[in-house]
Amino acid sequence: MTRADRLIIAVIAALALVAWPLMSATAGSESASVVISGPNGQTVVPLSSDAEYRIAGAVSDLVVRVEGGSVRVVESDCPDRTCVRTGAISAPGDVVACVPNRVVVRIGGEHADEFDARIR
Amino acid sequence: MPMSSTLAYDDRVGDATLTPSRRVAAGSALLAVACVLGLVEAALPGLPFAPWLRFGFANIAVVIALAIFGGRIAAVVSIGRVAIVGLATGSLLGPTSVLAAAGAAASLAVMWLLARHVPGASPVSWSAAGSAAHVVAQFGVASALLGTGSLLVLAPPSVLVALLLGAFVGYLALVAASRLRNG
Repeated sequence: MTRADRLIIAVIAALALVAWPLMSATAGSESASVVISGPNGQTVVPLSSDAEYRIAGAVSDLVVRVEGGSVRVVESDCPDRTCVRTGAISAPGDVVACVPNRVVVRIGGEHADEFDARIR
Repeated sequence: MPMSSTLAYDDRVGDATLTPSRRVAAGSALLAVACVLGLVEAALPGLPFAPWLRFGFANIAVVIALAIFGGRIAAVVSIGRVAIVGLATGSLLGPTSVLAAAGAAASLAVMWLLARHVPGASPVSWSAAGSAAHVVAQFGVASALLGTGSLLVLAPPSVLVALLLGAFVGYLALVAASRLRNG
């Protein structure tokens, strides 16, 4: 490695270290949220605070529980109860759907979907 | 630390003494090497702590091309590699290949600038800086595609890791290029 090499690498590393707190500050404001949409419209609740929500579905009420940074449907009177068996979701873009009740619980906002693919 | 004599590196970029047909043959061979390295790497799992980061071994071929034959052949190797590996893995024209192309173009531009305009820089820093540029371009494009800046938190630590991986890849390319030149 030449002296120029070390200088170039050090400068880029320094830029990255300076940018780090700036990036965290700008992105920190967009914390994850839970979007619950049902036949009666859409509710957005924070993922960070634990709570339980009763949502009116098309055939029954659902109970959605936010706990420790993840969400699950804990109660629903639909035929298959697929939504309850889906379990807890926590990553942006994850979805729990209750089709008979026409309720979708999703993590993230309008534009917060993560990629399925990996970056190469 | 001065470089040992077997790794002595000629700062001039490009080699005018090669005949056109030798340039085409050697460029094609490097493109083939880049594709094989890219395909092998595509099949490997990502780094456990950061699945979106990769070693970028295919860049060895691009750096060698840049060191021995100059920017034009390096561009053919780099862009050709993205197209062929994209075709082979079925990701061509999908979001992954948009990211790959943006990264490759940014990386190539930065490496070419260093090779051309910074006399003391060796392939180690070309590759390290190119790797950092690759990561920055990918985060930029990914954020634009997703319409959110939340991904950018991951960019600075990724750049730091990319510098290390890129420097390692550049060192491998430096060793290979010096052997190729002497052989």
